[in-house]
Amino acid sequence: MSSAVIFPAQPEQILKGLGKLWTSLGEEEKQHGKPTVLRACAMTLIVATDEADGGFSASQTISELMREHPSRGIVLSVSGQAEKSLEARVLAQCWKPFGKAQQICCEQIEITARPESWPNVGPTLIGLTAADLPVIFWCRHQAALSPHATDDQKAGLEAVMNIATKIIIDTSALQAKPAFDLIASWQGQGRVVADLEWTRLTPWREPLAHIFDNVARANVFSKFHTIEIAHTDERPTPSALYVAGWLSAPNGAKVKFSREQGPDAGLYRITLQSDAETIEFERSSRDCMTLRSTNGRERKYNYENAGLAALMTEELSVLGPDGAFNAAFDRARELVHELK
Amino acid sequence: MSALVQPVPEVNPLQDPLRFARRVPPCAVVIFGASGDLSKRKLLPSLYRLFYERRISPNFAVIGSSRTPLSDDRFRDVMKESVSNFLEDAPFDEDVWKSFAQCLFYVPGDLNNPASYDDLRSKLDSVEKSHQTGGNVLFYLSTQPSHYAEAILELGKHNLNHGSGWRRVIIEKPFGHDLNSARRLNDEIHKVFDESEVYRIDHYLGKETVQNILAFRFGNSMFEPLWNRRYVDHVQITAAESIGVEGRGAYYQEAGALRDMIQNHLSQVMATVAMEPPSIFDATNVRDERAKLLRSVRVMKPEDVSTYAVAGQYGPGKVGGQDLPGFRHEPSVDSNSQTDTYAAVNFFIDNWRWAGVPFYVRTGKRLPKRVTDIAIQFKAPPLGLFTQETKTGPREVRPNLLVVRIQPEEGISLRFLSKSPGSGMRVRPVSMDFNYGSSFGERTPTAYETLLVDAMAGDPTLYTRQDMVEASWQIVQPILDVWAQSRFAFPNYAAGTWGPAASDEMLARQGHVWRVP
Repeated sequence: MSSAVIFPAQPEQILKGLGKLWTSLGEEEKQHGKPTVLRACAMTLIVATDEADGGFSASQTISELMREHPSRGIVLSVSGQAEKSLEARVLAQCWKPFGKAQQICCEQIEITARPESWPNVGPTLIGLTAADLPVIFWCRHQAALSPHATDDQKAGLEAVMNIATKIIIDTSALQAKPAFDLIASWQGQGRVVADLEWTRLTPWREPLAHIFDNVARANVFSKFHTIEIAHTDERPTPSALYVAGWLSAPNGAKVKFSREQGPDAGLYRITLQSDAETIEFERSSRDCMTLRSTNGRERKYNYENAGLAALMTEELSVLGPDGAFNAAFDRARELVHELK
Repeated sequence: MSALVQPVPEVNPLQDPLRFARRVPPCAVVIFGASGDLSKRKLLPSLYRLFYERRISPNFAVIGSSRTPLSDDRFRDVMKESVSNFLEDAPFDEDVWKSFAQCLFYVPGDLNNPASYDDLRSKLDSVEKSHQTGGNVLFYLSTQPSHYAEAILELGKHNLNHGSGWRRVIIEKPFGHDLNSARRLNDEIHKVFDESEVYRIDHYLGKETVQNILAFRFGNSMFEPLWNRRYVDHVQITAAESIGVEGRGAYYQEAGALRDMIQNHLSQVMATVAMEPPSIFDATNVRDERAKLLRSVRVMKPEDVSTYAVAGQYGPGKVGGQDLPGFRHEPSVDSNSQTDTYAAVNFFIDNWRWAGVPFYVRTGKRLPKRVTDIAIQFKAPPLGLFTQETKTGPREVRPNLLVVRIQPEEGISLRFLSKSPGSGMRVRPVSMDFNYGSSFGERTPTAYETLLVDAMAGDPTLYTRQDMVEASWQIVQPILDVWAQSRFAFPNYAAGTWGPAASDEMLARQGHVWRVP
């Protein structure tokens, strides 16, 4: 269910549109004679996008996220094709749990802005955030993240970042060095930043960390003096650098990168070497990872190529500063500057 | 190295508690009764799921034991079939199973045969080396309850209660069949294991919503001030099952509803709802408060039992066009059985918070639907300004009802009064819902997954302690004693109905009615 286009996109008008939307959903409830709609909201999630689909895929992802992280979703689509400087539309995304009569609904606001209007979107967004709840900004506007971003894009980004409690980006398609410099500059301004490339590493990091929980291996991690990261890309990607940063930050272990053929793009193998033992964790096939050690142990893990909704689900569960990411990031940034 | 200078264990620098599941130490789990139903339906599927989700240590092993002669490989095959059949809301992954299967071992043996324990020791020694389990062992007694004491004493005789790591034992319900037998069993267990090593499982306490009662009560400030005799009119706890005894007629005939549900599950739920806030959220303090609450429950005098407790037994009925047999017609059930398949008890808690507030607890088989919930009925406002229109005319409203739903749909709903739109002051109750599934869309762990991880991690918060078990027997014992001497006119309710009329009358005497959940 969605509204007509709201122009000018003033917060009052948009909130009025939302009010009408809920009233009409309530009408439906009245006809059925019992509660049929449950309104849910745990945060404001703002997604800025320059994708050609006008924000459709961003909107789809928000609707997938609503099961675990119901939000007031605001999709800000920045497009040179937009007819008006800033216009909006409101809609409700609903899902019905299996076997239940009641639908769970989240509200969504779609704002379309011309590129030159993006810097002026701040006042509109401030008026639209859900009161007393965190504001998360997911930047899917790749051009604004590039070193060649225009002044309007930089100002637009700044306008949204200023109201956000956390900023989420995805550096998977970006060059590591400029992307890391951008993150570092935001962190320097006291902003909480997350990168979905780091989130993608959880299935790699958790089993590796588990090894060193064993009392029999206590005091052993510091003995692993060399870390080798095999990846399938021409140059180490942010994910390869993050995992290297994560593993070498505690003890300053030596890091080597190598390029190899793997079953899929990205990370292929992590090798930890000490004088007594070598541990390898490898993407052995598209859906399986194998952890083996020269002490004779081998264990297989399922690997699911996490989609954006799954990555965001994890990331939205960590709303405050992320110490593990920050430590890995600082070391990864050093490594990227050391690369020839 | 001097004994005073111990190496300081390195903190695992790779840990990331924000994103990784809670750590549990390496260990071997020994399951006695490994070929039984509980192992197949609950324990192995839960352990596999924990392994799949990387929530247990890679240095982990399961040693199954029972009388059935099986090899390690055959045990793995049997368990593979069970896990793939009984895995709830989770995919079965062949590669992960292969890794998991490498952690499964089997020792055939009879609990009465001392040689079986020698075989078990050899297997534990070998697994400790091959799987680096650190000498930690969790014994799980999933056998006939009559074998608990014997198995534990044999573990002690074979010194399996000590080793290079920790030793813990999980004991399934029923823990005794009355107060005296529970005390005797505790005495036997304590000859071998310290109370801190004993984990008496009550899977109700592992359910997410039951745990959430603590978060709801003690994590919020707005409900706790109302949580007392000044504002609460009465409390209803319902655990209804639509099924009959389902092939467990022989067991159930000996147990009955009061023993099977109220003595353990529902008394623990009642304790969770009514306990005082612990000063610290840890196992000792939470369990101290639960135990204290159970000790505050008024123990009935024999002459009060007929007033405050109702026994029922289902007779034949027709549900959905299907004829259902009465309990006495179920297989392995005596045709004159006096077993209660329904029990309702009106408890009173004699402390300052709850004095005079009835706690109605009911459970039964062949009731209209499967539902477990807790309803806190708040008192009416002191001055009744509004009345609600009903079919029988206007009546004073007592709208505030807080329902904690435990199953099948977990959640919390709060009913309050609202003005109906339009002119005039017509009011009607509306409901504010929190639905676990929709607010936290992720799969919730099963009670067994939660409780197994807790036992491995050494967290007994959700397990019952000796004093809690004995206190809960104490409050049902007078009822059991009186019922054992009584001759009931059973059956007294038809399958598919909400229980005997006497149960409604028990509440009516205090001006209350059972909710229809």
